[in-house]
Amino acid sequence: MTNSLIIAQKELLDLRRNKFLIAVLSFVLIAVVISVVVSATQYGVKLDAYNMYVQSLKSAGNSTVPPSPQLYPLQLLRGSIEYMEILGALFAIVMGYGIVAKEKQRATIQLLFSRPIGRFAVPAGKLIAIAVAWFVAVTIIFLSVTLCVAFVGNASFNAIDYQRLVIAAFTTWLYLIMWSALALGLASWTTRLGTALIIALVIWLTVVLIIPQIGDTMDPDNQVPGGLFKSLSIAKPDELAVLAQFSGFDTARNGLEVSSVTKHFERFTFAFLGIKDKFNQQPLGIVWAGVWNNALSVWFAAFGAVGFALLITTRKKLLRRT
Amino acid sequence: MKRALAISRHELVSLRREKLPQVLLMVFILMVSVSGLIGWLTNTTVSSVWTEATQTGLTQAPNPFENVSPLYYSRNTVIYLVLIGALMAIVVGVTSTMRDRKARTIDLVLSRPISVVEYLLGKTIGVAIFLAAALVATGLISWVSISFIVGKPLGFQDTARLMGFFGIALIFLMAFVLLGMISGVYASRETTALLIPISLWSITAFVLPQIGTSANPVSLLNPVPKVSVPGGAFDALNTILGPLSVTEQFKGASGWLLSNPEATGDFTTSIFVVVIAASLGMLTLLLTRRDRIRGALND
Repeated sequence: MTNSLIIAQKELLDLRRNKFLIAVLSFVLIAVVISVVVSATQYGVKLDAYNMYVQSLKSAGNSTVPPSPQLYPLQLLRGSIEYMEILGALFAIVMGYGIVAKEKQRATIQLLFSRPIGRFAVPAGKLIAIAVAWFVAVTIIFLSVTLCVAFVGNASFNAIDYQRLVIAAFTTWLYLIMWSALALGLASWTTRLGTALIIALVIWLTVVLIIPQIGDTMDPDNQVPGGLFKSLSIAKPDELAVLAQFSGFDTARNGLEVSSVTKHFERFTFAFLGIKDKFNQQPLGIVWAGVWNNALSVWFAAFGAVGFALLITTRKKLLRRT
Repeated sequence: MKRALAISRHELVSLRREKLPQVLLMVFILMVSVSGLIGWLTNTTVSSVWTEATQTGLTQAPNPFENVSPLYYSRNTVIYLVLIGALMAIVVGVTSTMRDRKARTIDLVLSRPISVVEYLLGKTIGVAIFLAAALVATGLISWVSISFIVGKPLGFQDTARLMGFFGIALIFLMAFVLLGMISGVYASRETTALLIPISLWSITAFVLPQIGTSANPVSLLNPVPKVSVPGGAFDALNTILGPLSVTEQFKGASGWLLSNPEATGDFTTSIFVVVIAASLGMLTLLLTRRDRIRGALND
């Protein structure tokens, strides 16, 4: 364990000195903050339009005022979560890959193994460093977006909102560790580093972008701008009744979507942050009952990737010559 | 020119041996091949939903897909070009200029009577031929699959539109190839060379359109460009940032070429932006100094 901690310490020092990685993480931070600012501004635009509408109704002598658009502060994080699932995952791959690639490229791995260290010291040390680095990064990102929602969105939080934020941040942390651990394992496993990057990028493309995009494309309601059922003027209960006739298609579509861990991450965080209307303002217990399977999928994927990295990163594999 | 062609031939041989571009190319061709099927499956389901709703008296609205063009089936190809195609182009571009720097063969190549412009032009021609061949293959697959779905060969006008779409796609991909090549020339590490253009791609594909239209990143994985929200600063921001988002402009031009009824925006501006992006990339690349492409890597 001591050796793992020493290696973790060394890795963290390396990561802190890596200006490029810091630039990349800053980029993610800027993107998520911009996203909150844009969402808050959009809410402001909606509110202005509503006020103008109410004003014109009043001047026309109409006393029936429609309900005002409500601000649910955590819903402003939708874009930020989506950035974490797309760009966060990509940069997590870079971190995991880089942590092994640099040792192989500089041949410092030979020096590392000249010391009397245990079987799991190197992978465990590197994984601890990844976990700590992502913990710091995710904490900074979530603190920044929370402050941004509070100041730019002019929103106030309840105690339960902080709990929701912590749950979302924890899941994001696991999700990013998963991608880094996968890339770390692949970089150790393959003889050529380039091959590891190929496999990791293809997995990222498929899991993060292609599968969710196909699932989204296959959703009948997404086929017409504004929604198919709205364009056909069909009410929600009737919509469900019609869709029940096409359960086979919907099951296939959903089956495709749930094959992507990114979709599980998205469904879980969207539910807890109230981005998904069905779970908005619901007690945590009810939300958990609705999405516990998504949480399990993210945890399994994360522990699976960590397990893969631990088992595959051996002295023999790392010291192989290309 | 003869020397540039020799370099382009070498580039083609090298690309044939590289694994990463080939894997991405295979993923791209596979996705384009199935995109027609996905489009057909979805349209059939929507039409069945409409029939069911009409028969039960829930709606009297017309079928939203009644008069859509056969090219509508290949609309998802646009998004695969923006996602997989652009990434493939970046990888191909970075690999192209990094290869000789990594192997230190650049000094040997430049010891021959060849100018930097000829060298870089040759590489660009080689990559352009590679991508053009890939797009011809995907175009053929699209043509055959659409013809199969509609039960007759695609008409002349639709074929011309499909050809126009793949022509624009080549220019669009070349813009990203050139971005990758520039990064491959200037970066001091291979990982940095790959990540800088990928970051720029993500800014173009997600951040800029989001600032201008307030659309969330995942909703931008849609084959048609988002329109700005009226009011606030969005209109003004979209006017400034819209033309900078090459991916959204490409979606606009493609939507028009593929007769997508949802497509909005000015076709000429969209084409102009895509062409300008590729031209600026070409100009920047050709202005590269000799000592720059000989720069050693820190990896």
